[in-house]
Amino acid sequence: MTARHLRLATLVRTRHQWGALAGIALGYTLLYLWLSGDLAGGGQGGVWAIFPAWARILEARAPFRFEPVGLIELGPLVWTFSPLNLLLALLLGLLVGLNGLAAWRLWRAPRTCGLRGSGLGLLGSLPALLAGGACCAPLLLVWLGLPLAGALAGLSSWLLPLALLLLSLGLWVMTRRLPRQG
Amino acid sequence: MRVPGSLFLAMASLVMSLTVAVAVLPTQPSPPVPVADSLEALRAAVRAGGPPKDGIPAIDAPRFQAASEAGLAPDERVIGVHHNGVTRAYPQRILVWHEIVNDELGGEPVSISYCPLTGTALGFRRGDTTLGVSGRLLNSNLVMYDRATDSEWPQMLGVAIAGPLVGHGLDELRVVWTTWQRWQARYPETQVLTTETGYVRNYRRDPYGSYDPLGGYYRPESRPLFPVMHEDDRLPPKAEVLGFRSPHGAAAVTQSALAAQGVVELAVGESHYTVVHDPGLDTGWVFHNPDQQPIDPEALRFGAEGVSGSGIEGLAPVNAFEAMWFAWAAFYPDTLLVDGASP
Repeated sequence: MTARHLRLATLVRTRHQWGALAGIALGYTLLYLWLSGDLAGGGQGGVWAIFPAWARILEARAPFRFEPVGLIELGPLVWTFSPLNLLLALLLGLLVGLNGLAAWRLWRAPRTCGLRGSGLGLLGSLPALLAGGACCAPLLLVWLGLPLAGALAGLSSWLLPLALLLLSLGLWVMTRRLPRQG
Repeated sequence: MRVPGSLFLAMASLVMSLTVAVAVLPTQPSPPVPVADSLEALRAAVRAGGPPKDGIPAIDAPRFQAASEAGLAPDERVIGVHHNGVTRAYPQRILVWHEIVNDELGGEPVSISYCPLTGTALGFRRGDTTLGVSGRLLNSNLVMYDRATDSEWPQMLGVAIAGPLVGHGLDELRVVWTTWQRWQARYPETQVLTTETGYVRNYRRDPYGSYDPLGGYYRPESRPLFPVMHEDDRLPPKAEVLGFRSPHGAAAVTQSALAAQGVVELAVGESHYTVVHDPGLDTGWVFHNPDQQPIDPEALRFGAEGVSGSGIEGLAPVNAFEAMWFAWAAFYPDTLLVDGASP
């Protein structure tokens, strides 16, 4: 196990830290699914699911965005369910959670140690959220309006890889600065 | 001068492929209506809309159900078509996710298209090919492509701006953008497109906003999402107009002006056109009326075939469609506008 693995492991040792990671990851996942349009309103109060399109599971409707295979109604919510979109959202959520924990640890560390947090990782979460909206669901674009909308639509295929890069880079920079012991 | 054999073969194959393409997709060699901007300027103004080509999937195998099974709300928007004895309604909340339905009406292949960003519904004869969504926009309007030649067709123009059929015009058929209640009252036996499209979408929700009540992107005062080639502030950007184009020019009438006047007489260029309000469907029917034949509004009748009555017979119908004002003015900057008091 390398020194960085050890440092990363110190981020999530206690039950509170695991809880915080799960909360941030889940919250981000839901936000991503909402902004990308997979999760939306329109439910009529029931709880049911149908999966009529498993054949489309690997079919992309945009870069890093896949065709739903099923429809899940959860009370007032409707989830057009794509396993790959969900995995992608969870991966992003996990990275955002780890970035958040690392930033918190660096912020709490004694100033005398010369440790400072990095906003890079958390900044990285934004392109992913924008990618969700820019790619297939116009909700975010409607909110943003001109002229950002037009520019984002053209860049949408780059936003998600950019988010993954920034989140990974931010985590790498912060874990390098973490002390090995918590 | 000798032409190298390979060059001759290439030219011959190009001519042959074009001939085949034109045969499968019925077009007119030059657009029936003058286009305000050059094809180069139109091509330069095309931009990415977000989804890639076919990222918004056209419906290629539509299924239909009886009106009694459709379960649509009375004020829900539908795109209706009555053609070759077949009557069909395409709920807007399905088309908002697919934008094109490649259908067949009485044996004739047609494409029914709807662009939510410009609020425009148009029908086209598609021959042996199908139309798809290119993922690109011009003046916020859907740019379609045909699967025979990959030529690009902005929906509102109906003219190819790129590809082997550049400059050709599509053959249009009239569709009506109205409410389910109005459509069903006129055509009780109508068939309705089902949500069994082959794709999974949240068909209960319009991601852009709402027409009942007006909200989100559809609010008249709200701004368009993408830049346009020409701006015109005579009306709010998303105000609904009924527009038509003719060899003599383009004209638009606001819904309120049309409803208030019943029959609108218009001098367009050097000719004359008559727009008749259809109170049942809340739309308009346009006729070329060069001799300014008088039309008695009281004598007009509205039925399955549209409008009929004294004065209408013998006049040539002109295709018309509802559109958001900003988009109409962006494509037709010299358009005539009737917005109430006077033409």
